[in-house]
Amino acid sequence: MRNTSDQKQRSPRRSGRNGVRVAAVAAAAAVTLAACSSGSTPTSTSPKQPTGSATSASITWSASPIAQVGIRAALIKAFEAAYPKIHVTLISAPTNTDTNRAQLVTQISGGSTSPDVFMGDVIWPAEFGAHGLAVPLSNYLPSSYWSKFAPGLVSGASYNGKVYGSPLFEDQGFLYYRKDLLAKAHLPVPKTWEQLKSESETLQKDGLVKYGFVWEGNSYEGLTCDFMEYLTSAGGKVVNSSYTKAEIDSPAALRALTFMRSLITSGVSPSAVTTFEEPQAMSVFDAGQAAFLRNWDYAWSNSQTPSDSKVVGKVGVAPLPTFAGQSYPGYSNIGGWNLYINPHSTHLAADLTFVKWMSSTTAQMILGKTYSEIPTVESVRKALAADPSAAPPIHVAAQTRLVPRPAGTPNYPKVSSAIYTNVNAALSGSTSPSAALAAAQSGINTALSGGL
Amino acid sequence: MSAVIAARRRHGWRRYVNGLSLATLLTALFILLPLYWLLISSFKTPVNVGSSPPQYFPNPLSTANYTQAFVHYGFGTYFRNSVIVTVVATALVLVLGTLAGYGLGRLPMRGKSSVLLVLLMISVFPEIAVVSPLYLLMRDLGWLDSYQALIVPYTAFNLPFAIWILRNYLLGIPKEMEETGRLDGASPLRTLWSIILPQALPGLFTAAVFTFTACWTEFLMALTFNSSNNYRTIPVGIALFGSPNVVPYGTIFAASAVAVIPIGVLVFIFRKSVVSGLTSGAVKG
Amino acid sequence: MSASVTLERPPGAPAAIVGRPDAHRRGLARLGWGFTLPALIFVGLVTIFPIVFSIVMSLSNVGLSASGFALNGFTLHNYDELIHAGVWRYALGFTVGYTVITVMVELILGTAIALVLQRLTRGRGLMMALLLLPWSMITVISAELWGYIYEGTYGVLQAISGAIGLGRPVFLGTANGAIVSMMVADIWKTTPFVAIIVLAGLVMLPEDVYEAAEVDGASGWSTFWRITFPLLRPTLALAVLFRILQAFGLFDLPFVLTGGGPGTATTSLAVLGYKVMFEDLEFGPGAAVATSTALLVLIGCMAFLRVFRAQAGSEEAA
Repeated sequence: MRNTSDQKQRSPRRSGRNGVRVAAVAAAAAVTLAACSSGSTPTSTSPKQPTGSATSASITWSASPIAQVGIRAALIKAFEAAYPKIHVTLISAPTNTDTNRAQLVTQISGGSTSPDVFMGDVIWPAEFGAHGLAVPLSNYLPSSYWSKFAPGLVSGASYNGKVYGSPLFEDQGFLYYRKDLLAKAHLPVPKTWEQLKSESETLQKDGLVKYGFVWEGNSYEGLTCDFMEYLTSAGGKVVNSSYTKAEIDSPAALRALTFMRSLITSGVSPSAVTTFEEPQAMSVFDAGQAAFLRNWDYAWSNSQTPSDSKVVGKVGVAPLPTFAGQSYPGYSNIGGWNLYINPHSTHLAADLTFVKWMSSTTAQMILGKTYSEIPTVESVRKALAADPSAAPPIHVAAQTRLVPRPAGTPNYPKVSSAIYTNVNAALSGSTSPSAALAAAQSGINTALSGGL
Repeated sequence: MSAVIAARRRHGWRRYVNGLSLATLLTALFILLPLYWLLISSFKTPVNVGSSPPQYFPNPLSTANYTQAFVHYGFGTYFRNSVIVTVVATALVLVLGTLAGYGLGRLPMRGKSSVLLVLLMISVFPEIAVVSPLYLLMRDLGWLDSYQALIVPYTAFNLPFAIWILRNYLLGIPKEMEETGRLDGASPLRTLWSIILPQALPGLFTAAVFTFTACWTEFLMALTFNSSNNYRTIPVGIALFGSPNVVPYGTIFAASAVAVIPIGVLVFIFRKSVVSGLTSGAVKG
Repeated sequence: MSASVTLERPPGAPAAIVGRPDAHRRGLARLGWGFTLPALIFVGLVTIFPIVFSIVMSLSNVGLSASGFALNGFTLHNYDELIHAGVWRYALGFTVGYTVITVMVELILGTAIALVLQRLTRGRGLMMALLLLPWSMITVISAELWGYIYEGTYGVLQAISGAIGLGRPVFLGTANGAIVSMMVADIWKTTPFVAIIVLAGLVMLPEDVYEAAEVDGASGWSTFWRITFPLLRPTLALAVLFRILQAFGLFDLPFVLTGGGPGTATTSLAVLGYKVMFEDLEFGPGAAVATSTALLVLIGCMAFLRVFRAQAGSEEAA
């Protein structure tokens, strides 16, 4: 049947095909051209002396908005005061981290010399390093530079023995709680997850609050962060240390996931928590509808801003709980942002000046003291921890235990996707915790071997 | 006689419309209620955006979101850029598309079907796959951070379907129209312009709305090709609102309440021609 | 295959100028190409390189580095990987099902709205402007708006549902709930444009056929089915074609509303392609997702046109 109808229209069809073929040849030529013209800038590996002047240039810095308005501009202003001959132009990047990454990848792999410096997520080093999309900073900056950062941050910014990101500010999970409600019910700040659950139930039963605990349970990167905290506190791991094998299908992981699911089935967490990202969780807590909140550093200032929050002055912050039988505190997942340099940048020396300045005491104090971000430089952290006027999360940060996400592999996005899609499925009840972990196990193994 | 027919027709149609009108009323509500929600939420204070039960009318009524969008986020620049890019691209699409649609719809060309097929193939190709290679093209042309970096691809990627739309409506115009032009001794372009196009205004309107909206809302290319605020468009501008953990619903809704105004203007401009499109049938009959 | 692309011709337009001298015909054909070429050249210059590039990429071992894409030899591996990936097969099924359902609903609703709009003598401009507002809204924002409406603790829909005694469901919390919610948001945004396409078609129909029907004393419904509907076929086909193209590219709604969840329940082909390309940086398989999607849509469109045409033919014969 198809043949007959084809034959009827044979001649137009043939001419159409020829048209396509000609176009294909033209385009193939264009491909070759593009491949030639874009292949001109090899990543330098050995030279330790950066190109360009270290004190005079005009550079661009791509950064997404940081929690409080004006941080980026304040940092640039202070930097330009210190280095008057280096002019920094801010490129505001999208707030969605994935969109931000997509844009940077397209631009850098497309040979763009701008941005010179970019602020990127702490989970990017392996992926960007493996594809040569960021300059290995350890080629230019001595080990004395790296030793000033808080423990764990530099190893998290490394891939294959090289450091790709200079830690700018850190972030981590905190437990926010309603001081007023706990006082009313004569309850202590919970130290175990089980305790948090039973206190929530008490507060809800007494009619003091609608929901017990809100957190981030949507099918996205943030759920991997939350899950890592339960998992590590229960004694579990995602992968082995050489990133060759998944280890997520374990009794500890089952305990963690079963507990998370029980938060929902018991009504301590609203069932909508499986659709929550940070803004929704924050909103419910700010509206005074939840006793406990798991969120990042910014949640403190957000909950204390009267235009955003109905719980100003009623909030306390503590390290995350652990599981019964494990030592307190529980683990907090590491978030935050590093500075990376574009390998196509023509102002490498000035870029390095900018990056180095961002880890100076001046810059770190602007971040930590003025804008209550958690500094990455250990000495500044200690100074602020001893400073009573610093924001409470910075004090609490000094007591927390940190766990990174398993981002030491370039395949991390797929590993994380295998975690959050399956954990989310278990949370929403569409699959059992044990089946979800088995699926995550096989998904991670596929991801580690490079499959889809 | 014709009055009698008109009366009977209205009578016949009225029964038909009555059966439909309830459903239409519901549909209209379904379309309008979310818009209402967008509008009133743009006047809520941040804390009331998340209030439960929700406020069905903002109290207090706040214009802070609008101030925030325009003053703090510089929404005015994004708006200007969007207007420039969209208007130019839409005009180009309409001119090139009308000519091509006329050729493919009304003139005896060989290989029409193949051309239409290739055009369809171009319109089905997902945008995510073409952005990276297009970036290389734009970089080599030195067009990054410019209006043409968006105008040219918007025109090219929207033309294929606009041609399909225009061709479809141009096909429906009676063939005698060209005869009229030919007898008057008008050139083919003049015939197209002054005789065919006025008949095809509703189709032109559809193609215009389609293209305008596609350019107005396009995100990925706008984000990737232009990273200077001087050339960024509204969808990109709004993606910079807030911070990674904060979605300022009120401000976003305020910006998008403003962003839908141009489509209203567009409809207003075309209103007469689209309404008169109905009566033109009566004239020619 | 190409034969099926040609939509059937409305009776207003004769197929070709019959019985004219060849020279004139050739002149008209040349004129046709003269009119068509500027557009084709413009489109070709911009689109062919990126499209062919992605197709080539989907058939290559692609290496990504700071110096761009390295195409290291021909392979079918990218497609092979897709076919064996459960996520792709699910995304395909989900996208097809989603497309079929939303396109059908939108076509019916859109045609109904268009028929009523056609009857409006006053305020049609205003009504159309209102209708077009959802359509002209930036897709990410309309997704945010619906996310805000569906929100599971302070969302307005949940509050209304609770107030009228239907309980307080979490619309996006279950697979089926999320899929239906997404369809509703899609129908809200796109039905108005379908209505505009159909309305333009209605407005351009010759009046005299209605008058003939009136003289025959035909009722509204039978006028619609016997006269309006057949004449409207090309326009309806256009609307469906357009919707197939769009619905298959479903991206913003799942990207914003559910992130593709719960689990992977709302991961469409476009979301999958985006994740594979821009999160995993696997541009070979990503290009294969895109290319195979384009191919499937093309096949879908042509199959639709063929069936549609065949049906039209059989009805005309009867």
